[in-house]
Order: sequence, then C-alpha cells, then structure tokens
Amino acid sequence: MLDVGRHPNINMLAYSEVKEVNGEVGNFTVKINKKARYVKEEVCNACGDCIAKCPMKKVPDEFDMKLRNRKAIYLYFSQGIPAIATIDKEHCIYFQTGKCRVCEKFCQKGAIDFEQQDQTLNLNVGAVILATGFDLLDPSGLTQYGYGRIKNVITGLEYERLINATGPTGGHLLRRSDEKSAKRVAYLQCIGSRDLNNCSYCSHVCCMYSIKDAMLAKEHDPDSVSYIFHTDLRNVGKWFQKYEIRGKEEYGINFIRGRVAEITEDEEQNPIVWYEDTNTHEVRSRTVDMVVLATAAIPSKGIKELAKLVGVKTDEYGFIKTGLPFPTDTSVAGVFACGFCIAPADIPESVAQASAAASRAAEVVFARKAKKRA
Amino acid sequence: MTELGKIIQETKAYYCLECGICTGSCPISRYDSTYSPRLMVERALLLPEANTIEDEHVWSCLTCGTCGSRCPSAIEYRGFTRLVRDVARGRGLEGVCTHAGTIQAMMELQTTNLFEKDLSWIGEDLKVSKTGEYYYFIGCLPQFEAIFKELHFDGKEHARSTIKVLNRLGIEPVVSSQEKCCGHDFYWSGQFEGFKELARYNLEVIKKSKADKIVFSCPEGYAAFKQIYPELFGKLKFEVLHITELIAAKIKKGGFDLGEVGCKVTYQDPCRLGRFSGIYEEPREILKSIPGLELIEMPRNRKEAVCCGSSTWINCSRVNKRIQLERLKEAQKTGAEILITACPKCKIHLSCALKDNDLDEKVEIKDLNVLLAESLGGKDIA
Repeated sequence: MLDVGRHPNINMLAYSEVKEVNGEVGNFTVKINKKARYVKEEVCNACGDCIAKCPMKKVPDEFDMKLRNRKAIYLYFSQGIPAIATIDKEHCIYFQTGKCRVCEKFCQKGAIDFEQQDQTLNLNVGAVILATGFDLLDPSGLTQYGYGRIKNVITGLEYERLINATGPTGGHLLRRSDEKSAKRVAYLQCIGSRDLNNCSYCSHVCCMYSIKDAMLAKEHDPDSVSYIFHTDLRNVGKWFQKYEIRGKEEYGINFIRGRVAEITEDEEQNPIVWYEDTNTHEVRSRTVDMVVLATAAIPSKGIKELAKLVGVKTDEYGFIKTGLPFPTDTSVAGVFACGFCIAPADIPESVAQASAAASRAAEVVFARKAKKRA
Repeated sequence: MTELGKIIQETKAYYCLECGICTGSCPISRYDSTYSPRLMVERALLLPEANTIEDEHVWSCLTCGTCGSRCPSAIEYRGFTRLVRDVARGRGLEGVCTHAGTIQAMMELQTTNLFEKDLSWIGEDLKVSKTGEYYYFIGCLPQFEAIFKELHFDGKEHARSTIKVLNRLGIEPVVSSQEKCCGHDFYWSGQFEGFKELARYNLEVIKKSKADKIVFSCPEGYAAFKQIYPELFGKLKFEVLHITELIAAKIKKGGFDLGEVGCKVTYQDPCRLGRFSGIYEEPREILKSIPGLELIEMPRNRKEAVCCGSSTWINCSRVNKRIQLERLKEAQKTGAEILITACPKCKIHLSCALKDNDLDEKVEIKDLNVLLAESLGGKDIA
C-alpha cells in the first residue's frame, strides 16, 4: 500500500467516486467526483492535532466496526494512504450549526478549508481495472446465532479489531458485555457460506483466518482455549494444511467437526453453542466466553451500480463476471477485474490476479500507443 | 429405483453435507441420543432401504421444521419424514399412537359418513350463518375438549372466542356441522389416502357455503388448506386466512379497539403458523395493541421457536415431555404470567407438561383468541 502511495506513475484518488465511464477499449473517459475533505491534501501532514482537539467525539468509527467512536475530523485508519485528515460533514459541528472551527484554529499548517468543494475530474484512460473488494454478510438475519441479541457473539472483523493493538481495546480480547477478558472462544465457520439459503459458495478465507485468530488469542493469553467448529476445513494449498496442524499441535486449538446449530445464553451472558459433534454423533452444548462468527463474504456494497456504470456483467451472486481463458477479463473489452470483486480469494491469489489484470491492461494501453506512433 | 430412492430424489437428500446442523437443532435429538436426522439421511443414502423404512425413529420426528429452516443444503427433512412414513405405512408399519389411538380413531371415523358436528354450543349470543362471504373452519376443537377434559382444555371456548372476534370484525361466519377433520395429521403421519378423502369432502362443504374466504383459528388447518390442498387440487377458489391476519389488518386500519388487560405475557410461535407459514408478526401486533399488556419474548422466538414437543399424536414419550418442560421453563424465566398460544395443539401439549412436579411455578397457558375475547368483553383477567 505504501509503495502505491509513493509510486511516481500512480496517481491515487482516494475519497472519490466513479460517476460515468464512456468510450471503449483504448479510449475511455472516466468522470470522477473527488469529494471535498475540507482539508487541503497538499498541506495536511496528518499530525493529528485537529483530531485531538475536535469536540465532536461521538461518531461511530466505521473502521473499528463501530466498537468505538471517532471524531468528526478523522483519519480513516492510522496506516491509511493517503494520510490526510477528512472532515465528516454530517457530524461536523461547524457544518451543522455554523459554530466551532476548532480544527482550523489548532491546525499549524493552515490545512483546513471549509470552503472546499467537490471536484469533477475527467480522466482519459486506455483500460479500467475493477478491484472493489468485498463486504461481509450481516449475520443478524441468521437469528439462530443470536448476533445483535447475545452481546458476546461477534463477527470475525469485530474480533480482528479487538485483538489488534491499534483497536478499541488496545489488543485485549475483552467481552462486549462486561469488559472481562475472554478465555474460552468458539470460532464458527460457514455462517451463511456454503448455504443454499444464503451464499451457496465457499467464502474461501474463513478456515485460515479463524486458525490465525485462535493462534493470536493464545499468543495474547496463554490460558485461552479455542474451539473451531467447522464443516470441512478447507485449508487448501501448499502450506495451509501445515498451518492447521501447527494450530492443533502448538496452539492446542480444538477442531470440532460440526456446524453449530444455535446459540443460547446463560445468566452470566456466556454464549452456549449447541452442535452435533459429527465424529462422535453426540449432540452437545458448550459454554464459552465469546463466539466469533466467520460470516460469508459477499459482493461489496455499490458493486451493482459500478457494474452498471461500466457496463460489465455480474454473476448469479452479484460478483463481477469474468471468464476463461483470461480470468481477469470482464464482459467489456478493456475493463478488467481482480480480487474479491470477482469471487472470494485469499491475499496471494488476489495479488496474482492483480498482476494478471495489470498485464492485460498494459497490453491494451501499449497497443494503443504503438498504433498512435505508426 | 426403490421407493426410498425416489424419496431421496424428490427431497434432494443427496445434497447433505453431513454438517450436523439438523441434529444439533432437533428438539428430539437434544434429549434422545439415539435419534439423529443427519444419521437418518446418511443411512437412507448408504444402507439398504429397510434400514430407513423400518426404523422406529421415523415416527419420532415432530415435523417442526427447525432443521429444514437451518439446513444449508435446503433439505426439507420434515418432507423426507412424511414420505418415508407413507411408504412405511404401506408396509404395515406405524408409530406408537398416543391416547390409546383415540384420536386416530376419531380421524378415521370422519372418513365415513357416520360423523356430524354438534354446533349447539355456539349459543344464541354469537352470530353465525349458513351461507356467506366468510367461512370459519372450526376443526377438531370441540372433539379435543371431550378428549382432553382432564387438562381442562376448553376447545369450544377457543371456537366461541374466535366467532366473537369475527363478529366484532363485522363478520357473521358460516359454520357447518358437515365439515370434517382437515386431514393435517393424516398427511404428516403417512396416511395420504385418508388425507385426500377428507380434503375432497371439506372442499365440497365449503363450495356449498358459497364462501370465498375461509378463516382458521387452528394453524394446522390453516397450513393444510394453504399449502397442501393446492398441491393436490390446484389453486383453491377461495382465500385462506388465519384469524390473526384478519385482526392485524383491521388493527392497522383502525377501528378495532381492545379493552385493557393488565398482565405480562409471552408468546409461543406454533410451527405451522411460524416456520410453515411465516406468520410471526401478526400475533405480536395484536398482543401489543392490547392496552396494559406487556409482551416479553422468550429468547428462542419466531423462526427459532421451540416446538410444543409432540405432533400427529404419535410417539409421545419422556423425551417429548422434556422438550415441553424446558420450553415452559423458558417461558417462566421471562417473568410472564401467561403463555399465549395460537394453536390448540400447543395448548394441549404444554398444558399436559404443566402437570409435571418438576415445575416450581406454573405459568398460565391461554389461547390468543380467548384472551382477545376477554379483552373485547372488557373483563379484567389480571
């Protein structure tokens, strides 16, 4: 990410939205709305003074899965690129009431600009690459798991923020109900994935990240006990099986073959998972301190609109449709796609796809340049 | 292809991932370690046919649909059970009938011409008619009152209350002494022929009434008419309504004012009304519109509600009683004084379990329509 930020040939337009895509392969015009940050990009050095002084403290932090609040002026996340503060107009006291401007007063660089307007940019490009990533299924609809009702049932991403040193708990695995540290954690696979009623595909990354999550818990707290409830562990590939074995042998993760049927709660707000251990054929319940749901990966919000703008086809699930023999080619010539917006994929696969899409795009762009020269 | 092979094809049971969600969800499996929907399907797929057809566990399934609603392979296990029961019955097998087979005999009797409903209990104070727009399908309520006297089951009061509510909605429903059992239990216990016969007869009775809307207070009759009858006879010429749909619509429109009932209640979703028909909110909207009444949900509600523990009057054992006891405890834990049911079967089965000595407190169990009739009458029941 940092490399992209520094690369002389890459012009990054963050906080911007594609509005129109016209033209054809080799000659696209892309209309982009570059949203006003109310902070001068070339001046701000992300020192954080404005954020420290901003009096609007109660905006749920989207990056932290709303587990804590941020200010109205904020950096999306601490390592984000480009490192420029942004004023969230909807929550900014000055924009809402006409009084405040505290950030302006404290900014030593004079970077705050309340007069800034959205900018429209028209880019002429030879090729377009879509890489919009994914979203996660909201598990509240799967009422048997009690997400939203049982406080100590959280999603994998919420867990990631909790166990992260820069997260809302400073990396401590604290329960939502009582801020006590969670010792017994159950990781539930296939929440909405491989499910004909929800997402019939496999989300590809959950088995591995759940093992990683369980390892992290053990590293943070040697007393922690982990249970991974799974259908079949899909740790496919050269090193992944080894990782699973390591999880078992070095970290003592308990792998239980059986999808959890439902979750109830006891008086201490401990989740109780009910399941059949399909190896022993027994129906059991297990009381834990915390449940982490590996929710299904779904096409990202807005992908439908983007696909319509660009004119590319989507598949039955709403991911961008690509095909063989060029797995990153979409239904429109000169438009390519890579990563999770095509289908669930892990990091190495996404990186490989990104290289492939870049190569295909280069072919188009260089062909055009060659034609011009001739 | 064997008969079981056909069932596997029809229910797509071969999609099974063996994930265990069904068995983990099954109310029976929780207390009976020998019963497992997953293993039933596995055996059906792997072993000779007799291992499934002749398995006595075929008769244990409550057909509550909890497993099917969660199955990631969308296998309708209740449908699988029903079809296997059909074949098993064809081979002379059956489950253990509860109540010494009295209720089965009552259903059988209705397939003959020896049966006519006594309706004298409806009384002069309520308005009913011979023909008209709305037909109220009373179902087995009066018969159940006779059979379940020791449980103080007030089936006739359920029906009278429903008629009272209908009258308040401005409806003078058609009732008929000629209607027979809806056949629901025949259908789910593998007596498909008997079911067809009853269904055909009932459709004839309704045709004669000239009604174009048929109202049910019993979710089983409702689900039978709404979902099974059209499968057999095509689209029905009349609309099938549950009383809660009618009332909730009227409440929304305004002009259906209920009297104050000061009490805390909780609500038991009947399988046939909830998971089968998707009617979760209407009964709740009705309850919430009663002034002074506080509705407290049990943790497992709506789609996740636990079955009342027994169905089709077959294989009721200690296991079923444990399901019911746990459910009653769950209801009592909410702090509610009354457990509201919208199905006569839920009321009967849970009232039976209420006699258990293990229960310290005894929650009162009341039918939704009886509560409504009391609320309409302005009677204070708290």
